[in-house]
Amino acid sequence: MMLPLLVVLSLLNGCAEKEKFIVYGSPQNESEVEALINEEDYVDRSTVIQYDGSMLVAVQIKPWEKWKKTKLEKKLQKKFEEKYPNKDVFVSADYKIFYEANKIKKDQIEDNKLSDKITELIELAKEET
Amino acid sequence: MVIIFQSKPSLLAGGVVAGPLENRSIFSQYFDSVYDDERWQMKTNEQGHRKMIEEACEFAMKKIGVQNGDIDFMMGGDLVNQMTPTNFAARDLEIPFIGLFSACATSMSSVIVACLLTELGAANFSLAGASSQHNAIERQFRYPINYGAQKPQTAQWTVTAAGYALIGKHREEFPSIEAATIGKSVDYGMDDPFHMGAAMAPAAFQTIQSHLQQRNQKIYHYDLILTGDLGQLGLKLLKGMLVENGVKNEELTLIRDAGAEFYGQDEAFQSGASGAGCSAAVFFSYVLQQMRAGSYKRVLLVATGALLSPLSYQQGETIPCTAHAIEITMK
Amino acid sequence: MEKEQYQQLEQNVTPKPPYLKNVAKAFLVGGLICAIGQAVSLFYIIFFNFTEATAGNPTVATMVFFAMILTGLGLYKKIGQFAGAGSAVPVTGFGNAVISAAIEHRSEGLVLGVGGNLFKLAGSVVLFGVVSAFFVALFKYILVTIGVVSW
Repeated sequence: MMLPLLVVLSLLNGCAEKEKFIVYGSPQNESEVEALINEEDYVDRSTVIQYDGSMLVAVQIKPWEKWKKTKLEKKLQKKFEEKYPNKDVFVSADYKIFYEANKIKKDQIEDNKLSDKITELIELAKEET
Repeated sequence: MVIIFQSKPSLLAGGVVAGPLENRSIFSQYFDSVYDDERWQMKTNEQGHRKMIEEACEFAMKKIGVQNGDIDFMMGGDLVNQMTPTNFAARDLEIPFIGLFSACATSMSSVIVACLLTELGAANFSLAGASSQHNAIERQFRYPINYGAQKPQTAQWTVTAAGYALIGKHREEFPSIEAATIGKSVDYGMDDPFHMGAAMAPAAFQTIQSHLQQRNQKIYHYDLILTGDLGQLGLKLLKGMLVENGVKNEELTLIRDAGAEFYGQDEAFQSGASGAGCSAAVFFSYVLQQMRAGSYKRVLLVATGALLSPLSYQQGETIPCTAHAIEITMK
Repeated sequence: MEKEQYQQLEQNVTPKPPYLKNVAKAFLVGGLICAIGQAVSLFYIIFFNFTEATAGNPTVATMVFFAMILTGLGLYKKIGQFAGAGSAVPVTGFGNAVISAAIEHRSEGLVLGVGGNLFKLAGSVVLFGVVSAFFVALFKYILVTIGVVSW
């Protein structure tokens, strides 16, 4: 019974030591995106995956702010859309999306597959049941 | 109301059968059989209950060497709706039968009726007793067996046991019943079905008091006053009431409770044992055997019953209780 | 002895329920059950295509499955006796209520026994859950309509 608990705890600890903001993908605008997210202090960590015109912003919100998760998601979405009106932006605060985005970074997935991966994740995030 | 039996009917034998958990009872060595399957290898708990009653009756008859056909009457009851286990056992035993319900005091009310029939000359032999089967009773009065509800410290554990006594005309060498008291239905406003000891203690108190008064006796005239299933808290309350009434402390040691002692000090059973089978099992095994061995000369057995139903306490009714007593002597 | 006098005596003799101890036990066991639930939920998120929003359903099913095994083995009632509300409030307690009733009434047949009594204990949980959800939603709808809060 304790084993899954320990696994989870080590997982959480393992993540905490990693870098806070990660930007991965082709357009070279890392510092700009980072600054944008940095302005929002409710964001704990984030991973941004981008390819051409699409952009997936996966964020993790700080514990007590999580109550307003959907609202903050919307707020961030709006902010990104204003900043990058030409891009197809999708913001998600879901752990699954964040986890998968980190995996993309970790596995160093190539550019040609990135687009598919991003669409897949956006569709997953939109599932309701 | 005290009845004096001039002919002093005798308790010729007792048959007690108990379930697997009752192996942990401090009285288990006195039982005739402790079965390791609580359903007696039947399909349902209720059928197991019936089987248990039949076996208890057979043990009692075997000890004196009589057959079903020699028994004139059978008195008994249990706690299942409409008392089907006892009724069905009577069907299989083929003995003329009246079902009696006084909740956990049935062991004594059935003995009293059997004694009256014997006194009347209508019965040579009769069987009287009561039984309860934990699973069958719990499901009816409380929750399903495997439901994880927390029982308070005041709760009691329904035992799986059947105790039947064979009652016949007076014989010198057997414990004999001199008198009996039929108790009133007493209600002191207790309404917690998980604290039955508190509801039943006043009934036991009244029955003991009126028996002693009308028989012109004091507690010290007895070697033992044993109540049925008050539990540890109920026994404390009974003693408390007696003390208020001027009973001296040294006399209190004569008063014991079968339910409080049944499982020893095991905390898993909270306040102790209860159920119609509790008093029947202890009275018709331990007490009879001790009396025949000469350890006790005069004993007052008081079985207490809480006369509630699941419906009545859900409707917010308080719990009326009764207590019936018999006075047994051994020459 | 008078009724009032007896009730006084009863109050003195009956031990007070150890509320603080019970609360602590319920907190620990309830917390442990929820931690296991969280672990199961993370398991579904990481190894399957479930998001935080959709992992709830399989997690509940799994927790009820665990409760079923424990109930069948007769262990859940022991946990319940120790933990009280700690094991009754999480969804495993709901599972236990349903499953224990099913086991109990198996002897009366599948339709009238199990079917008729399955929600004997859990039925009121379902009923009051639905009713209170309706009123909470209604309350929030009114607040949103008059503009106090937004959805």
